[in-house]
Amino acid sequence: MSKAFSGVWATFEYLDDTCAAIKELRDKGFQRITTHTPCPRHEIDHALGNPQSRIPFFTLLGGVTGFCLAIFIIVKMTLMWILPVSGKPVVSIPIMGPIAFEMSVLLSIYFTIGGLFFLIIRDTMRHGKPRSKKYKNYNRFMRDRFGIVVPCDDKALAEVELILKKHQAEEVIVEN
Amino acid sequence: MSQITYGTINDSVVESMVPPGKKWIIGFLMVLSALSMGVFAFSVQLRHGLEWSGINHPISWGVYITNFVFWIGIGHAGTLISAVLYLVRAPFRNSIYRASEAMTVFAVMTAGLFPIIHLGRAWFAYWLMPYPNQRELWVNFKSPLLWDVFAISTYMSVSIAFFILGLIPDLAAIRDESKGLKRFLYSIPALGFKGTNHQWIHYMRGYLLFAAIATPLVFSVHSIVSWDFAMSSLSGWHSTIFAPYFVAGAIFSGCAMVLTIMIPLRSAFPGFSAIISIKDLGGMAKMIIFTSLIVTYAYATEFFIAYYSGAKFERALFWFRPFGEMKWYFWLMVFCNCLVPVALWFKKLRNNLPTLFIISLLVNVGMWLERFNIVGTSLAHGFDPFAWGTYTFEWVEIWITIGSFGWFFMWFFIFVKIMPSIAVAEMKETLKPPMRKKNE
Repeated sequence: MSKAFSGVWATFEYLDDTCAAIKELRDKGFQRITTHTPCPRHEIDHALGNPQSRIPFFTLLGGVTGFCLAIFIIVKMTLMWILPVSGKPVVSIPIMGPIAFEMSVLLSIYFTIGGLFFLIIRDTMRHGKPRSKKYKNYNRFMRDRFGIVVPCDDKALAEVELILKKHQAEEVIVEN
Repeated sequence: MSQITYGTINDSVVESMVPPGKKWIIGFLMVLSALSMGVFAFSVQLRHGLEWSGINHPISWGVYITNFVFWIGIGHAGTLISAVLYLVRAPFRNSIYRASEAMTVFAVMTAGLFPIIHLGRAWFAYWLMPYPNQRELWVNFKSPLLWDVFAISTYMSVSIAFFILGLIPDLAAIRDESKGLKRFLYSIPALGFKGTNHQWIHYMRGYLLFAAIATPLVFSVHSIVSWDFAMSSLSGWHSTIFAPYFVAGAIFSGCAMVLTIMIPLRSAFPGFSAIISIKDLGGMAKMIIFTSLIVTYAYATEFFIAYYSGAKFERALFWFRPFGEMKWYFWLMVFCNCLVPVALWFKKLRNNLPTLFIISLLVNVGMWLERFNIVGTSLAHGFDPFAWGTYTFEWVEIWITIGSFGWFFMWFFIFVKIMPSIAVAEMKETLKPPMRKKNE
């Protein structure tokens, strides 16, 4: 868990510089790149090769679970506490509709949130992040600056630094 | 407009969150006074019972259920704006959606109070929830009232989750703009968000799914609320058009409330006038025109169905509404909901903020009256002429209604000062990103 981070991170003022740097880094074989942007930008996604999220699987699982749970609750409870109403069937399928729908929606939302946290934590741990105070206290990624973090071994540090400087990074910080 | 940059959006939002000034404090005290009126009146009702309200035989659903439906309707616009307009990429959504989402959450919180207030013995509210018990008392899954419990609880949970999810990147932006204790406090709800590609990719996909799921939910919730009425066999209620009619009405009133809130918000914070453009507010005005037409069509259809069905009880009720002793509620409703929005067809009036604000207030009044017409007049004029009745508003329910506005606006006042009321990340998305090639 407390593995030391080895790599380079840089800040950029312009989006096109950031994208160009990402493309060159990927061409040179650096695939485990983390970027920072103040808002989601498709240009960054394209530069990173359009990675996809697996969130929809969690949503679907939540929806199915909610639907089954609703049916279970209604059938089980109506059979346990029988309430005859105007000669209608005790377990009636049409009346399950609204509750099954609402429960499907509710659980799909909860599962989506759970999936969101799980996937973000997993990806962040896989890619690693700089441990310096300077990185932790850098305040402008959510304001108006773009950033690139490239984990790499000691031998590649100079090469990555060169690429980032070539694309006019504002600051380039080497950490190892 | 062209001076808006990523940085200035942050600055405008941070500026809106500085410690409150005199105007805010005076406004907040007024809101608290309204709330205390409601709390006092409710305590009187708790002590003496529902006889202190105007509820009577035959009008056993009065102002409280009217308020419930009214506030649920208000709560619809927020999720509509966040979810439906997000899916269709409506350009006027971004600047107003955060405040309207907050409005949704607070409106549903307000609406949720009214079934409890209406219970009389409010301390037994938990009997509504289905859980195993030894009282030999059990909920009826065939009742639309129980569906409503599920619908409203789900809607409230989803609205809160949607609201909080949308806030996370913006709270991170505020955290990074703050120092000391404030920074620490904002870092907790920001959940370590740093705008990385791993965060944005899952966040955006999750947000899209939220929007896709919340869209049918918006339509389902008010449909289910309408079934509280339509599933019964009472004239004026037992109608198949109720679900779409209620949904359109909810969007109509919700959009009006968005304008009622956004116009003062825009003038309260000078930085917001560049972000919340007149065009954005005009977009909401167009939504009001559209939904007003649907609502007007629904009113006409109700009368046509009453005439064409040949059902004499239905005909009698729809004669009673415009010409009976409760006719003023009906005609005022028609004036506010069908005639007043016609003014919005004119661009000059649509772009005039004071006019837009007054129209939004009138639409709110009209939509409250619509709910009262549905609830009150149908019950007043049932099948048996011997049981016909009328309704008198009592001070307790008027004060509780005023209190509900106090409760709603209290949350909004607090929200404006502690949360970003403009969606920072989404506003940045609408701007052209900083590019070197263009700048050179």
